[in-house]
Amino acid sequence: MSSDQDHLKETDTEARFEFKKEEASAFKSEKGLTEETIRVISEDKDEPEWMLERRLRALRQFQEMPMPTDWPGQPDLSEVDIDEIVPYIRPDIDVRGGVDDWEDLPDDIKDTFDKLGIPEAEKNALSGVGAQYESEIVYQNMQEQWEEKGVIFMDMDRAVQEHPEIVKEHFMTKCVPPSDNKFAALHGAIWSGGSFVYVPEDTTVNMPVQAYFRMNSEGMGQFEHTLIIAEENSEVHYIEGCSAPKYSSFNLHSGGVEVFVKEGAHVQYSTVQNWSKNTYNLNTKRAIAEKDATMEWVSGSMGSKATMLYPSTILKGPGATDNHITIAFAGEGQDIDTGAKVYHNAPNTKSTIESKSIAKDGGRTNYRGLVHIADGAENSSTSVECDALMFDNESTSDTMPYMEIEESKVDVAHEATVGKIGDEDVFYLQSRGLDDDDAKQMIVAGFIEPITEELPIEYAVELNRLIELEMEGSLG
Amino acid sequence: MSVQLETISEETVRELSEGRDEPEWLLQQRLDALEALDELPFPDVIQTPGRKWTDLADLDYESMVDPFSQTEEKEWEADDGIDVLPFHEAVEREESLVRDAFGSVVDPETNYLTALSTALFSTGTVIYVPEGVDAEDVTIRTTMNGRSLFNYTLVVTEKSSSVTILERQETGEDLDGSRYYSGLTEIVGGENAYVQYGSLQDLDQETYNYQLKEAEVDTYGQVDFIDVNIGSRLTKSSVETHLNGDSSETKMVGAFYGHDDQHFDIDARVWHNAEHTTADLVTRGVIDDEARSVYEGVQNVGREAWDTNSYQRENTLMLSDESEADASPKLIINNHDTEASHSATVGQVDQQDLFYMESRGVNERLAKNMLVEGFYVPVLEEIEVEELREDLTERVRERLRARA
Repeated sequence: MSSDQDHLKETDTEARFEFKKEEASAFKSEKGLTEETIRVISEDKDEPEWMLERRLRALRQFQEMPMPTDWPGQPDLSEVDIDEIVPYIRPDIDVRGGVDDWEDLPDDIKDTFDKLGIPEAEKNALSGVGAQYESEIVYQNMQEQWEEKGVIFMDMDRAVQEHPEIVKEHFMTKCVPPSDNKFAALHGAIWSGGSFVYVPEDTTVNMPVQAYFRMNSEGMGQFEHTLIIAEENSEVHYIEGCSAPKYSSFNLHSGGVEVFVKEGAHVQYSTVQNWSKNTYNLNTKRAIAEKDATMEWVSGSMGSKATMLYPSTILKGPGATDNHITIAFAGEGQDIDTGAKVYHNAPNTKSTIESKSIAKDGGRTNYRGLVHIADGAENSSTSVECDALMFDNESTSDTMPYMEIEESKVDVAHEATVGKIGDEDVFYLQSRGLDDDDAKQMIVAGFIEPITEELPIEYAVELNRLIELEMEGSLG
Repeated sequence: MSVQLETISEETVRELSEGRDEPEWLLQQRLDALEALDELPFPDVIQTPGRKWTDLADLDYESMVDPFSQTEEKEWEADDGIDVLPFHEAVEREESLVRDAFGSVVDPETNYLTALSTALFSTGTVIYVPEGVDAEDVTIRTTMNGRSLFNYTLVVTEKSSSVTILERQETGEDLDGSRYYSGLTEIVGGENAYVQYGSLQDLDQETYNYQLKEAEVDTYGQVDFIDVNIGSRLTKSSVETHLNGDSSETKMVGAFYGHDDQHFDIDARVWHNAEHTTADLVTRGVIDDEARSVYEGVQNVGREAWDTNSYQRENTLMLSDESEADASPKLIINNHDTEASHSATVGQVDQQDLFYMESRGVNERLAKNMLVEGFYVPVLEEIEVEELREDLTERVRERLRARA
C-alpha cells in the first residue's frame, strides 16, 4: 500500500493531468453534426446496419429535442454549440480495438498514460485495463484468469462486432434510450469507444476493472459508451477515470453508461472525473437492478466547467438495493450540478444517497436529486444525506432534492446541511501545531472520508491529492 | 401560458372599481394588473422530468370566475387601539397609508393568479398597528357565498408594535359546481415589530383555492406565518418572507390534512437578505384516501446575509396507499457564514409506537388516531391563537372519526 501511495505522491498530479500532446490523428471527422458525419463514423468503424440505424434515429431525436434550459438554477449551456465540436477522432494506431501489450502502444500515447499512472495501477491492483485516447480505445487488457471464466472486458466498438446479440439487446434500449434527454440522443448518434463488461453467472471478479478516458485534442467531443452486464449472482467493480488538458475553446464530454444488474448480482461503478475546466460534462448514467441485486455508484466530480450528471438506478426487482456516494468540488468558474436519481419500482427496495460537496473561489455546487417511490413499492426505504462545505463568500451551494412518494408503507428521509469550514476546528488543529492550510486540508480530507474509503487506495490517494491541489490554489 | 377570460375586460374592472368608489390610483393598479394578464405565467409549480406536480393551467377559470357575483359574509374582531377596517373603508379613511403599502410587498404581477386577484378583488381587510401598540388578537372570518371571491388582506405594523391575527376562510351555502377562492395577504413588518399571522383555510371540497401570503420584515422585526389548510378541492398556497432588516426573524409553520381527492400544493420560501437573520420552517401534513400533497420549501441565503441561521423540517404522514406525497426542500446558499439545514420525511404512523400503545391496552384505531393527533403537536406548539389551535385539533379529530 505504501509503495502505491509513494508512487502517486511522487508524480506531480497537476503535471499528470495538464500536459498536452500534439494532435496526431489518423482520421478526424468534420466539425458539427450531420447525417453524413454519422455515416462516416459508422463506416469507419465497419458497423453493422442496425447500429447505423440506431445512430440515425438518435440523431433525429437529438435534432428535435430542445436544449434543457428550464430547470431551476441549472448550469448555463449557452456556449455549447454542437456545430463547433469535432465528434470523432481516431488516433493514429494500427490495431483497431487497441493493443493488448502496453509496449505496442505508440510512444506518445504510451507516454500519456504513463504520466497518468495507468500501467502502474494495472500492475498493482486491477483485473483489467482499457485506455481510450480521443474516440478510440488504444489499449485493452484483461487478466487471463478472468478471461478463462468467461468474463468479457473489451471496447464497445469491438463488442459490436464480436457480441452483436448481447449489444443489440442492451445498447440504448431499456436502460438509457436516446429519447431520455438531449445529450443522451447526441450520445446515441455519435458514441465512440468505451467499455463493454460482461460477467457470467456466479462469477465474482474480485479485483476492479478499469477504463481510462483521455481527451487530448482541442474542441473535441468525447462520447464513450459503457455497457456493463452482470449476470445472476455475479460481482464486479468497474472504475472509470477521465481527464483532458485545458485548451482555449470548450470540449464536450457526453458519455453514456448502462448497467444491468441481474438477480442477486452486485456492481460497483466508481469514477473520479477530472476534465479540464473548459469541458462541459453532460452524461447519462443509469442502472437497472433486478431482484436482490445491488448497485453502487461512487463518484468524485472535480474538473469540468459545468457538469450535469445524475447517475440513476431503477430498482426494478423486489429487494434490490442502491447506494450512491458522491463528492463534488467546484472551484473558480465551475458549476458542478450533480446528484442521484432512484426509482423504487418494486417492494422491499432500499436506497441510500450520501452526497458531499465543497465550493470554493466562486464555484457552485448543487445537489439535484430525485427519489421516486412507485405505488406498490411497499416496505421501501430511502435515506438521503447531503452535506455542503463552503470556503468563502464568492461561492454558492444549493440543494434541490425532489421526492415523489406514491406508496404509504415506506420510510423516506432526507437531510441536508450547509456550513462553512469550522473556525473552531481550524483553531483546534492549529493549536496542535498545524498551519492554517494544513488544518483546512485535514478538515476537508475528514469531510470526504466517507467517499475515499469506498475507493481503491490509488483512487483515494488521487482524489485527496487533487483536492489538495485545488485548495492550494487559494490557500497557498 | 395564461388563459383568456372572456368575462373580464377593462369594462368589468372599471365597473367593479366604480361600484366601490375607488380612487384613480387603485383603479390604475387594477388596470395594470389586467393588462399584464396576457403576459404572465401561472405560479411556479414543481416539475421533474415528465411530471408537473400540480397542474393549474388545466383549471376551467372561465366557469368559476364571476367578478360580479362576489358575495361573502365577513366578521372582524379586534382589540381597541388599532385599526381593523374593511378594505374600502380603509381606502376612504386612511388613503395615504393604503396607497403606500398596497402592492409594496406582493407584486401584483408575480404571476397570472396574483394579477387576476389584484384586478378583481372586491373585499378585504386593512390592519394598521401604530408604533408601540400591542394588539392581542384580531380575527377575520370570511364566508364565501358566490361562485368566486377575491380577497385582499393588508397588514401594516409600525415600530415596536405587535399583533396576532387569525384569518379564516369558509364557504357558505352549497352551490352546484366548482368555485374559486383567491386571497392575497401582504404584511409590512416594522422595525422591532412582531406579527403572527395565522390562517385557517376550511373551504368546501368543491372550491379551488389560490393564496399568496408575503411579508417583509424590518430590523429586529419578526413575522410568523401559520398556514393551515384543511378544505378545498385544490389548494395552491405560497407563504413567503423577505428578511430585509438585520437580525430579523421568521417562523413559517404549515399544517395540512388532505383526504378524499384533495390536492394541496404548499410552498414556504424565505429570503435572507440581511445579516444575523433567522428562519425556522416547520410543516406537518397528513394525507389520506387519494389525496395528494406537494411541498416545496426554499431557504434562500443572499450574498450579503452574513451570520444566517436557517432551518427547515417537513414531515408527511401517509394514511392510505392511494395517497401521494411529493416534497422538495431546497437550499440556495450564497453566503458561507451560514448555518442551514433541512430535513424531510415521509412515512406511515410509526409501527413501534402503535405496538407500544396496543400493548398498553389501547385499541388499534384509537391508538392510530392518537398518534395522528400527536403528529401535529410540533405545529400546534407554535400557534399562539387558542382558537386556531382548537380548530385545527377539532378538524383533525372530525376527519379521523369519519375514517372508515
